[in-house]
Amino acid sequence: MTVLLEVKDAVRAFGPLRAVAGVSFSVQRGELVGLIGPNGAGKSTLYNLIAGAIRPTSGQIWFNGRSVGGWQPFRAARAGIGRTFQIPKPYRHLTVIENVAVSALSHERTVSAARRYCEAILEDVGLADCAEAPVSILTAGLLKRLEVARVLALRPSLILFDEIMAGLTSTEVRGMTELVAALPARGFTVIWVEHVLYAIMKAAPRIMVLHRGQLICDGSPEQVAKDPAVIKAYLGEEMNLA
Amino acid sequence: MSTLGQLVYSGLLTGSVYALMSMGLTLIFGVLRIVNFAHGEFLMLAMYGAWAITAMLGLNPLYAIVVVVPAMFLFGVLVHRLIIRPGLDKPHIVLVFGTMGLSILMQNVALMMFSADLYDVPPLFGGRSIVIGPFYAKAELLIGFAIALASTFGLRFVLKTTYLGKAIRATVQDGEAAQLMGIPVPRIFLITFATGSALVGLAACVMMPLFSVFPTVGLNFVLIAFVIVVLGGMGSIEGALLGGICIGIVQSTSSYYVAPAYGQMFFFILFLLVMIFRPAGLLGRKGEATIGMND
Amino acid sequence: MRSPSPARYGPPSRWRVLPERGTVSIFELGLFAVALTMIAVDLPQTLQDVIIQTFLWAGLALAWNIAGGYAGMISFGHAAFFGLGAYTSTILSVHYGITPWVGMWAGALLAAGFGGALAMICARLRGPFFILSTLAAAEVIRMGALNWASLTGGAEGLSILPVVDATNMVFASKTAYAVLLLIYFVAVYVLTKLLEGSRYGLYLFAARDDEDAAGAAGINLLLARTSALCLSAFLTAIGGSLFAQYFQFLDPTHVLSPELSFQFALLPALGGIGTAIGPVLGAIILVPLSELLRGYLGSAAAGLHMAIYGGVLIVVMLYFPAGLAGALARLAVCRRKGTP
Repeated sequence: MTVLLEVKDAVRAFGPLRAVAGVSFSVQRGELVGLIGPNGAGKSTLYNLIAGAIRPTSGQIWFNGRSVGGWQPFRAARAGIGRTFQIPKPYRHLTVIENVAVSALSHERTVSAARRYCEAILEDVGLADCAEAPVSILTAGLLKRLEVARVLALRPSLILFDEIMAGLTSTEVRGMTELVAALPARGFTVIWVEHVLYAIMKAAPRIMVLHRGQLICDGSPEQVAKDPAVIKAYLGEEMNLA
Repeated sequence: MSTLGQLVYSGLLTGSVYALMSMGLTLIFGVLRIVNFAHGEFLMLAMYGAWAITAMLGLNPLYAIVVVVPAMFLFGVLVHRLIIRPGLDKPHIVLVFGTMGLSILMQNVALMMFSADLYDVPPLFGGRSIVIGPFYAKAELLIGFAIALASTFGLRFVLKTTYLGKAIRATVQDGEAAQLMGIPVPRIFLITFATGSALVGLAACVMMPLFSVFPTVGLNFVLIAFVIVVLGGMGSIEGALLGGICIGIVQSTSSYYVAPAYGQMFFFILFLLVMIFRPAGLLGRKGEATIGMND
Repeated sequence: MRSPSPARYGPPSRWRVLPERGTVSIFELGLFAVALTMIAVDLPQTLQDVIIQTFLWAGLALAWNIAGGYAGMISFGHAAFFGLGAYTSTILSVHYGITPWVGMWAGALLAAGFGGALAMICARLRGPFFILSTLAAAEVIRMGALNWASLTGGAEGLSILPVVDATNMVFASKTAYAVLLLIYFVAVYVLTKLLEGSRYGLYLFAARDDEDAAGAAGINLLLARTSALCLSAFLTAIGGSLFAQYFQFLDPTHVLSPELSFQFALLPALGGIGTAIGPVLGAIILVPLSELLRGYLGSAAAGLHMAIYGGVLIVVMLYFPAGLAGALARLAVCRRKGTP
């Protein structure tokens, strides 16, 4: 198993506040890793560091053997790091399928080829019926699905999901969890930030817990659910994973 | 050496007058996050007003302040209600083109009403210069400088100590949070815009003895105002004063040492340099020009 | 996963009546037919002038739209590119005897270079900051032209000798100019349509609509914006050269003024930014209107018609921000959906 992503002592400070305060971990190719933690723990900042939106104050981030710390977002995307945004960012003046096709154009030469590629993806996330609709008609929940579709269309080696379940009904959560859980088999490596704990603890074989910019636990869901530090910081009480 | 000193001195004074004209623009930007492309035309309108009052009553244009400033405040309220407020929750291009349209409208209405002729008021105190130390300056410039200084400190005082000032600062930092705290943000926007307009009125009265007014006079000055506001930092009143003084000095020295025609060109180059190296300006918040505009 | 329930949007039909992104519509073909007719028919000189100006401004508005509408880089300084094109081809012709057929490409390249430099410096600036930069850049060019009198003739400008010579792009009949400018207009239009249906075009739209998402999708924002402004500048400069040959006189007020820069933005804004047909509609409606008003009402109209434009712009922006083309587009979608 090869290491796809390695983060070494990553630090990101905003003035005196260390949003990410020395985080180290590595992710193997084909893994599905959950990342949980209370609000303000630094999860989004960590994502921004990996995906290139901000540069690390110190520390290193290695992706596929290359140091990507401080890269521009588009370079990281082209290298194979895909991400969703916690607050969806659709292209307001384009249709649903065009929104997704933009990402597919990173590996398709023409717009029609990109559109064909995206038809299957839209089926997967359940947006096929509104492919030609302007994106402005989508509700918040559907926009989340759009985010997922866009990152899938990019065909990245590493996907960073950022709270894609928020606002979904329990049926939708089940559907989305199935989709995410199937991704490693399709060749993707996934890091998954989520607050909807029952979904992520069931689906992800490995969970990392971030608190105040530091990793306080990294193990199986059972281990995490019992860990006293995690309980104190986030869960509140021991979680029943049955 | 004394020539340089004289140039710096008059540049400083003229620049402070430019700064006064720019304060409204920077205040509006700081609070409403919009650029009023009709700013120059507000100045033109106020200058015509100052001229009219001076011509009709035969008074010193500085007395016109009493009428022009409140009138410009009301004008600002009108424009805000009709144009700015409806445009605030729409995409940015709406107000960009909206204020541009207002600019075109006002310029051409002025053209129809007054024709392209230049209008002046007689200089104050018979055009004598006042000598301080080894340096000469026209009385109008010194008065302008004093008013600019007073306005800067006055605004700073209001912003720092009064309740209104605190409400404005809160709105600048986080409009949503301010609203949740019970601050009537729409009214703050209205007051700020109208105050910006009133400041322009004040500047116009000060500038009338120094410059002529004609329908497109706004265009000359608005470009200067933009450069000052960017240089000083959008939203910073003190920055506007500082920026204005810099511009005034750059203009006076380059006009003398290089060529009068190139004077204007130099501060556009200065503007572009600021854009390259420090787009947030001297006293602006870092990163302001590159983030936060479309959010 | 179960699909959501918004109304089903039907498959695209064969022929579009109203203009849409990525395909040719009957409306556009009809417009082209009308344009050809106007050239073929024998019309009085003044009308021919109007038609020539309309074609020119349609092309210029489209060129502006590539940067301002498609890439989201609103510029109030496009007169810089127009003027660079006009002055370059004219200076090369008048001082060095190089035919404008060649000179105009030199002007276009120069303008593209200038636009590229401007974009690289200022494209990361948002909204109003970028607009102000374009204003400043245009003013720098204008003052340069004013002051470098030995090259540009300063405030007096340059004249092109009205010696009829097709190889020097000076024609006897207005019809020839009309054909030339129609070619320009159609060329820019075809380019625009191709662009908006292409991968590059989609990248520009994405970069315009959401920078962060576009970056995360692998789009190099700086490259996209710089190239868009280069292309826009290039095409605008060609228009400038053609204008110089038609008007046979240029000075900073005619080709480099801020008023002119506003005009470049005004036409697309009223016609509909971000569409191909929008700038064309803006030109078709506003250019003849202003020419006719000017002729009819004399010099007083110079203030009146512009004042009306200003007022109309305000109203259109507040209530119809997508312009005339936006209204047409809504009509097109409604027709396809089958709702009135």
